[in-house]
Amino acid sequence: MLTKSNKNMTTKTYQRIKLFLTMLISIVVSTSIIHQNFFIPAITLVASFLVLLFLRKKVEQVISDERDILNGGKSALMAIQIYSWIAVISMLLLYSLQGYNPNYEAVALTLAFSTCILMLVYSAIFYYYNKMQLTNSRSLYLIGVIIIFLFLSIFMLRVFSGEDSWMCENGKWIEHGHPSYPAPNKECK
Amino acid sequence: MKNNIKQFRKDAGLTQDELAVKVGVRRETIVFLEQGKYSPSLKLALSIAKEFNTTIEELFILS
Repeated sequence: MLTKSNKNMTTKTYQRIKLFLTMLISIVVSTSIIHQNFFIPAITLVASFLVLLFLRKKVEQVISDERDILNGGKSALMAIQIYSWIAVISMLLLYSLQGYNPNYEAVALTLAFSTCILMLVYSAIFYYYNKMQLTNSRSLYLIGVIIIFLFLSIFMLRVFSGEDSWMCENGKWIEHGHPSYPAPNKECK
Repeated sequence: MKNNIKQFRKDAGLTQDELAVKVGVRRETIVFLEQGKYSPSLKLALSIAKEFNTTIEELFILS
C-alpha cells in the first residue's frame, strides 16, 4: 500500500507526462505503419499504459471526479452523434459516387459498419448501466449483453463484409463468393 | 442551484484545494460548485455537509 510520502506528483505533472506519452504513441504508431511493423506500437501501448497506471498512484490529488464522469458521458454521446451523422452523410455521398471510383464502395461500407458497431456498443453499455441498478445479478446481465453483442457483431460482419462481391480481374468481372446482385454494368479496367 | 459553500469554507479556514482533497473531488469542481454552476451528487453534497458539520438544507438553496 502506498504511503502519503510516496504520493508526490501533482496532477499537472501527471497530465504533462500523459500528453507526452500520447504524442510518443502517435509518432511510434504512424512510423510503424509506414514500416509495416505492428509489434513496436503494441509494446509501446502496453508500456505507456503501465507507466500511466504506476504514475497515477503517485498523484495525491484527485485526477477525475463525478463532474468529469458526467461531462465524459455527455461528450461521448455528442461525439457518437456527430461521428454518426458525418459517417452516414459521407457513406451516402461515397455510395452515390462509386461509379467514379470502385474503392468508394468499400469506404462507404466501412463507414456504415463502423457506425453500426459504435451504436451497438453504445446501446449495449447503456443497457448494462441502465439495468444493473435494478438488479444484483450484474455479472449475469453483463454476460447476456456480451453474448447478444457478439451474435449481432458476427451477423453484421457476415452482412456487411465484402466477401460476396464482383471483382475486376483482367478486364472481366469475376464472382467473389456468391454475390446476390448481378455483375456491375460499368466497364472493368 | 445557489449554495453557501464559499461562506462555510471561509468560516472553516479552508482553501478550495483543501476542501477538494477532503471531499475527494478536483479543485475545479469546488470552483464550479461555489459559483452555482454545478449541482453535486447526493453523495458529494452529504460529504461537504459532513465536512462543515451542517445539513444539506443549510448548504444548498433550491432556486
